[in-house]
Amino acid sequence: MTTFARQFADMFSLTIRMYREQTWFLSMVNIAFAFGLVLGFGYLVPDISRETALFLTTGAATQMIVTIGLVGLPQGLSQAKAEGRLDYFFTLPIHREAYLLAQVTFVALLSLPAVLFALVLGAWNYGFPLEVSPWLLAAVPLAVLSLAGLGVAMAVVSPHQQLTNALTQLIIFYVLFFAPVLMPREQLPWLLRQAALVLPPTYAADAMRATVTDLPGTHLFRSLAFMAAFSAGSLALASAAARRRG
Amino acid sequence: MPVLEVDRLVKRYRGGTLANDGITLAVEPGEVYGLLGPNGAGKTTLVRQVLGLLRPTSGGIRLNGRDVVANPGYARQAIGFLPQGQFLMDQVHVDELIHGIAKLRGLPRAEARRATEHWIERLDLGTFRATPLATASGGVRRLAGFACTVVGGSRMLVLDEPTNDIDPVRRALLWGSIAELARDGASVLLVTHNLAEAERVIGRFAIIDHGRIVREGTPAALRTLVSDHLRVEITATGAMTPHAALRADTANPGSYLLDHRDLAAVSAWIQGLREAGSILDFRIAPPTLDDIYAASVGSEAAGSAA
Repeated sequence: MTTFARQFADMFSLTIRMYREQTWFLSMVNIAFAFGLVLGFGYLVPDISRETALFLTTGAATQMIVTIGLVGLPQGLSQAKAEGRLDYFFTLPIHREAYLLAQVTFVALLSLPAVLFALVLGAWNYGFPLEVSPWLLAAVPLAVLSLAGLGVAMAVVSPHQQLTNALTQLIIFYVLFFAPVLMPREQLPWLLRQAALVLPPTYAADAMRATVTDLPGTHLFRSLAFMAAFSAGSLALASAAARRRG
Repeated sequence: MPVLEVDRLVKRYRGGTLANDGITLAVEPGEVYGLLGPNGAGKTTLVRQVLGLLRPTSGGIRLNGRDVVANPGYARQAIGFLPQGQFLMDQVHVDELIHGIAKLRGLPRAEARRATEHWIERLDLGTFRATPLATASGGVRRLAGFACTVVGGSRMLVLDEPTNDIDPVRRALLWGSIAELARDGASVLLVTHNLAEAERVIGRFAIIDHGRIVREGTPAALRTLVSDHLRVEITATGAMTPHAALRADTANPGSYLLDHRDLAAVSAWIQGLREAGSILDFRIAPPTLDDIYAASVGSEAAGSAA
């Protein structure tokens, strides 16, 4: 095992133990959130079409992934920062990226049941079959990583925990209503359509639709390639944020 | 050669605050070097630069001869650090945390287990080994934090208020451990306000005020700064007008400073009070580090830092 992998494994093991009592509760909250998204938005649209139902279901699952990188991760890290834990782990002789990856993995594992739950609930409630492609196994980690860097930077650079939390709320609001995650890109006004081209959730949602539904108009490999590029940038951003000295 | 050398260190934050203003100090092998000063004096800023968490505005920091401003990763390798504060680690158990940190510090699994058991026993933490840090007392959290600091076998330790919240018996264990580590050759940069206890282990210390070192030396040498004074502590049965030669220590009610030339007169006055039954107890003692500290930064600051 390489030094990085060993440090990641030790840090991940410590992180699970640190949150051993909250894990069950946080997973259930994520599932409740997915439940609300899949069913709640359905109530807004009477006589929902199959296509809209597919968008809502895959969009809700994508939203849960967006939540990992841009809500769970920055909020967890900013709390660690406020309590002095972040600085403490940054003084240990470990790769800071191993620490951060352990946090991302932990938050992702808390949310993955909710991602799967959203898909299964949507399929059951709206009556469509899930057609799961093995590429889903690549799409989910790339979607998480493509957003995690921004989440890390928000937590590490932001001077206040409250500012980080406010920003995460704003991002969730934006992704819900102004990004092509729960709805097709064509439904958005021109400016938001252009903005969507450079935002990772667009490609995460497209890859999700391509790997679990038969919706036409998806571009799996283009989305995976964009997410890989975003992930590289995201990791560089996280690394730079972790190495920053005031 | 000193283990840690800080050379004309200046740190000015972006907002313009000058936190360190030309600090120079050196910690020798096996030395416990105390860092004292009121809140906001610049101690934490200095420590964060030594640890590589902050970049100095100017000046240098060398650890075992290596420039840690250019290579902060070396500081993390070489330094065991105990931060100030509550050491909040949520639900992880005391033994899991110490063992986990030992592994993160690079110890092989079996060696990490041995070192963990050694420090649990040394710090009398056995009954708390399966206690989650979130529900442990402040003192147990502090001791677990200290164990995490030393479990990797670092030869340079930076301890920020190590005895906060710890009960007197375990405080003695902790000071004993620090002294033992120093005897074995470890160097310690010790930030503390607990001057009376720290005096037993400190070899030299510096008092920082407004980002500068205002005093530096051994406790014995610095004691000469106030050697013409004695400390008098009186517990009276009721209201008492102090002798004219006694100067009240505003930070410590019932405590006074006395010029040693007035000792005979004050002794006679105290004897009179005793015979009249006006005092319960009294104590006349040589000056302490607290007195040096108060003389260096002013009694108001000393009071706020205590």
